[in-house]
Amino acid sequence: MTTGFKVSPTRLAQIAGFELVRMFLTKRGLIALAAFALVWVIILRYPIGQAVGLVSSPEFEQIARDISGSIGLSKLLDWPEAEIAMYWLIALYSFPIFALFISSDQTVGDRERGTLRFISLRSTRFEILFGRFLGQLAVLSCLVGITLVATLAVLGYREPSLLMSGIVRALSLFFILVITFAPFVALMSLINTFARSSRLSIVIAILYFFAGGIVVSLIQWQLPGLTVLDYIFPGMQIEKVAGQNLSLLVTLSIPLLQSVVFIAIAHRIFTRSSL
Amino acid sequence: MKPLITGQNLSKWYGAKCALNNVNFEIHKGAPVALVGPNGAGKTTLFSLLCGYIAPSSGQLNILGYKPGSAELFNKLSGLPQDAQLDPRFNIDKQLAFYAKLQGMGTKQSQIEALRVLDLVNLKEVATSRAGDLSHGMRKRVTIAQALIGSPEIVMLDEATAGLDPIHAREVRELVSQLSSQATFILSSHDLTELERLCSQVLHLDKGVLSEHQTQTKNKDKHFYTLMLSEPYQHVEQQLQTLEGVSNVYMSQHKEYVIEYHPSFELLDIAILEFCHSRDWQYRQLVNGHTLENQIFKQEKV
Repeated sequence: MTTGFKVSPTRLAQIAGFELVRMFLTKRGLIALAAFALVWVIILRYPIGQAVGLVSSPEFEQIARDISGSIGLSKLLDWPEAEIAMYWLIALYSFPIFALFISSDQTVGDRERGTLRFISLRSTRFEILFGRFLGQLAVLSCLVGITLVATLAVLGYREPSLLMSGIVRALSLFFILVITFAPFVALMSLINTFARSSRLSIVIAILYFFAGGIVVSLIQWQLPGLTVLDYIFPGMQIEKVAGQNLSLLVTLSIPLLQSVVFIAIAHRIFTRSSL
Repeated sequence: MKPLITGQNLSKWYGAKCALNNVNFEIHKGAPVALVGPNGAGKTTLFSLLCGYIAPSSGQLNILGYKPGSAELFNKLSGLPQDAQLDPRFNIDKQLAFYAKLQGMGTKQSQIEALRVLDLVNLKEVATSRAGDLSHGMRKRVTIAQALIGSPEIVMLDEATAGLDPIHAREVRELVSQLSSQATFILSSHDLTELERLCSQVLHLDKGVLSEHQTQTKNKDKHFYTLMLSEPYQHVEQQLQTLEGVSNVYMSQHKEYVIEYHPSFELLDIAILEFCHSRDWQYRQLVNGHTLENQIFKQEKV
């Protein structure tokens, strides 16, 4: 059993690259993509396409500012690229759920089928685990990138002069979004090490957030000092990140740290489990 | 010569159930090695330990100087795990090329290698089919093909011919025989005749305990012949007993007789065949020593 920590970057890249093939070149992956595209066409057409109309209308502006201010989003109203502001909010809240779904079968399906036995004769268990995680993150990055480009197209169509500043803002948002979503994928990497199917992985993830949330709330009610327990949930910082109210360091370090912890636990379980 | 694989005091427990009990063995480079035993004897457990799929409860296992599952063994040890399947959603050539890439081949070379190994199992024509679209036998042969990618020094095949029709099972046997000069094969099968043909060393597992046998090619025990007749004839035992040098004859199973003789009668095999000819007995086979099946059956009955 491979318990060592040898990593070949080439094998890691090949395993991650194969995840892209699994997503973009299989029927199941293409169906998921089609559903994703359909949802995003509607999002781009309505909330994002009409973002400027909503934000810039004099009647709506004050209401929007009041509501946004109370929930900490007032900074977003100052962005001239209203489409990107709208995209940012929608992506930040919708992609995590999507990430959980698309990354629900990282190793569990192959393990149950025995395919991992073929792969584990050719790569270490860490390479399989981390390679699949990176691959799923790459898939997610592609989807974030594609939707961002589409949003920029909507922005460029409305106001070409904002395109350059929009691209710069989109680039920074792209990296923040991908890193924000990373712990959701890492959580699925962890759940995959002990779940028996991808569906069960999703159920466990939902339970983790809902039942786990209730348990943590109860603990914090009894022991108010234990706010640190919030950090076991990916996305615990999203609310503050949405309004751009956290420093870049904190915005990035929380999800990165969570991802490292989830992957480390997953590695520990995976190397000790039978294939 | 340094052994390829060494197992020392190897045990594996699943809760209270002992799957392997203090097993010791050595496997050297050369002719295929058979791993036999009844269902639940611990064969797949031993295969899984050798492949690094599971860890032993106690004991040491050393393959080419490394622990099972070590990165150093990639490309040197390959295997066909029992019941493992390729991803049904992908073309098999893509999957095999992916495995070849993991073994260090470039993109072009990996595609060529995928087709080469598929050709070895006569499945080149279905290279672009998805694994899920193939029959059970074809899928099995593809998984055998994956074990032949690159140039492994050790190839482990767990129940490689199970579920294959006789023609394809024979093709696999011929393939193993043909490639056994390049790699040491470790085969598990319930088909003892198949293993007897291919292997010189037999590791017999029963209830987690290992014993070793030699097939007839290296059998030093020349005290027995096993005669298999085509038809059930009358009083065979009594008649064979009349041959000079024969000390005992008994029927091991239907139409099969074990002839025990004094070692000084070296030409008894010729005498037995002449005896069959003179009695007009149609014989199927004369085995020098015990058949592997009889050796194992005898041991399991004890």
